[in-house]
Parts: sequence; C-alpha cells; structure tokens
Amino acid sequence: MKKSLVTLLVVLSGSIVLADGSGSGSGSAAGSGSGSATVTPVAEPAVPTPTPAAAKDLRKTCTAAMNADPTFAAAIVKTADETSAIKRDQDIIDAHQRAAAKVAENERHVILAYAAMWILSIIFVIVLWRKQGGLNAEIATLRRDLEAALATEKSEKAKS
Amino acid sequence: MKRLAVPLTAALAAIGMTVSLWLIFVNAPLQWGKNSNDTLNMSSLFFNQKIFYFHVAHAFMLFASVFVAGTCSIAFLKTRNARWDDIACAAVNVAVLFGAVVLVTGSIWAKPAWGTWWNWEPRLTMSLLLWLILVGYTLVRQFAGASADRVAAGMAIFGMVGVPFIYKMVGSDSHPASGANGVVATLGPGMKGAFWLSVVSFMCWFIALVVFRVQSIRAARELRELREAALDAGVLE
Repeated sequence: MKKSLVTLLVVLSGSIVLADGSGSGSGSAAGSGSGSATVTPVAEPAVPTPTPAAAKDLRKTCTAAMNADPTFAAAIVKTADETSAIKRDQDIIDAHQRAAAKVAENERHVILAYAAMWILSIIFVIVLWRKQGGLNAEIATLRRDLEAALATEKSEKAKS
Repeated sequence: MKRLAVPLTAALAAIGMTVSLWLIFVNAPLQWGKNSNDTLNMSSLFFNQKIFYFHVAHAFMLFASVFVAGTCSIAFLKTRNARWDDIACAAVNVAVLFGAVVLVTGSIWAKPAWGTWWNWEPRLTMSLLLWLILVGYTLVRQFAGASADRVAAGMAIFGMVGVPFIYKMVGSDSHPASGANGVVATLGPGMKGAFWLSVVSFMCWFIALVVFRVQSIRAARELRELREAALDAGVLE
C-alpha cells in the first residue's frame, strides 16, 4: 500500500514537473509580453500543407466524423434546402412582379384600344345622324314648298 | 319592317356587346403560357389579349363589308341599277370605319406585343393599302363628278380582290396566323364564346350601320330629285 502510494506520488510529481516545464515556456513568452510596454505579436505556427496522401486521409477522417453524426448531415441538407427555397421564392416573386408590371402596362393599352374603337364609332354615328337629320329637314321643307307651289298653281288655273 | 331594321339590329348589337364585354373582362381567362422549365413565359400576351376580341371581330366585318361592296358594285356595273350602288357606297363607308378601328387597335396591340406601334410587314401593309383604297373610293364619290359611281365601283371590286391576299398572307410576317391553325382555332375555354359573341354583335352593328347609311344615301338622292322638281316648278332658283 505504502509502495503504491509512493509510486503514485512519484508519478504525480513527475507529471507536475513536466507540466510546469511546458507551462514556464509559454509563460515566459507571455510574461515578457505582458511585462513590457510594447506587445510583440506572436507568429502563429505555420500550418503544414498536407501532402495529397495526407489530404486523402484527412478527408476520410472528416467524412467518417460526419457520417458518425447523423444530425450533422441532416443539418447540411436542411441549410442547402432553405437557401434554395429562399432563392426559388425570390425568383417566383420576381416573375410575378414582372408579370404584374406587364399586365398593368397592357391594361393601359387595352383601355386605349377600347377608347379608340368607341370614339371612332361614336364620331361616325354622330356624323351620319346629323347628315340624315339635315337631309330629312331639307326634304320636308322642299316637299312643303313644292306642295304649296302646286296648290297655288292649281288654284290659279281654277281661277282662270 | 324596313323602319325597324336599324333600331332592331342596333339593339341586338348593344345587348350582344354588353354581354361580350362581361365575358371578355370577367369570364375569359388571361392569356399566358409556361416555358419548358415550368416558369412563366414573359412573352405571353396577358391582359393585352383582350384587344383581340374586338380587333379580329372588326377585321371580319371589314372583310365582309368589302365583299358586300365589291359584289354590289359588280351588280351595279352589270344592271346599272342605282340600288346596288347605294348598298356598295354604304358598305364602303362602314368599311372605312371598321378599317380605321382595325388599324388603330392593331397598332395599340402591337406596342406591348412587338415593342413597336407599326412594322411594315406584308399583312399590315396590305391592310393599310386596302383602307387607303376605301378612302379613295369615298373621295372619288365625293369629287369625281358624273362618272363617279362607275369609277368608284371599279375601285370597290379592286379592293375586294385584295381581301383574300390579306387573309392568307402568313409566313414571314409576325402577325398571328389565321385559318385552321390560327389564333381563333386555338382559343381556350372561356375565350371562344366571348370571341364569337363579339363577332355576332359587331355583325349586327355592321348591318345597322349599312342600313342606316343606305337610308341616308337614298334620302340624299330623293333630295336631289326634289331639287330638280323644285327648279322646274320655280320654287328654287
């Protein structure tokens, strides 16, 4: 028991020492940074470019991780669906707005065409009506005058 | 019966036009189409197609009146009976009105459909020429003097000969086709009824106008004869 406790302590102390050593390394850099007036930016460690073989392995790992989590794939599909649905809706709205503009524009033309048709027809009928009225009035006057003239002629003949 | 002809046909035309207007603007659907990918075809006519119902009806009546004028002119030249000439003259006068409506409404239709008020395609040009011949007929009747009736009759026959060319002139032109494969044959449900009622209504209107004009022409002849009688009787100097 004592032996095992000692072993545990040794292991623990060793790990603490190791942890302290690594921490002092970073701590010194941070300490010198915080202690001085100017902040010296720390260069980020360069990300190694994976070789094609490594990239393949990474892709496999990534795919395996995604497949392992069914909610992740569903979330990706859902996001893609939502994006395309928004685009589709926008396209429909745009098409309807264009159609509405076109319909409104055509409304003006239809009203113009109907107005032209009725105006031309009404002008024609009014001209005909007035002409007919004038002719009828003149015919009636002439008939009356002729009858009067004939009646006068007859009465003159009768007198003579 | 003769006295009732004009009011009767005019009343029928008015009723028919009212019902056809209701059918055109309330019952008949908008004309639109879809592309192969199920999207809205923006070259559809939409509301503009409503012009078609009376534009084509007027074109039919224009052709009818030119045929009436041409046939009556042939009869007049053959028989020298002035009654035929009266009908021909009245039909041409009405044809001038119908032709003007066809040209004006067609031009208004063309603006949204083709993007231009007028293009010099064969059918449009021929229609304009026909209308100008009819206007020429009217001017000849007015100013050509003693032989005006015979010269005008020749013009009416000339106009009648041009009508089949206008009707059949399809192919390179952008004007919608006529005949069995034309627009009228392909009208959808709700459109055909409105269109044919419109045609019948304008036919009644055409008859009313022709009869009214014939009465007017005959009244003018009667007046001429009365003037001559009045001159003989010494009523007029």
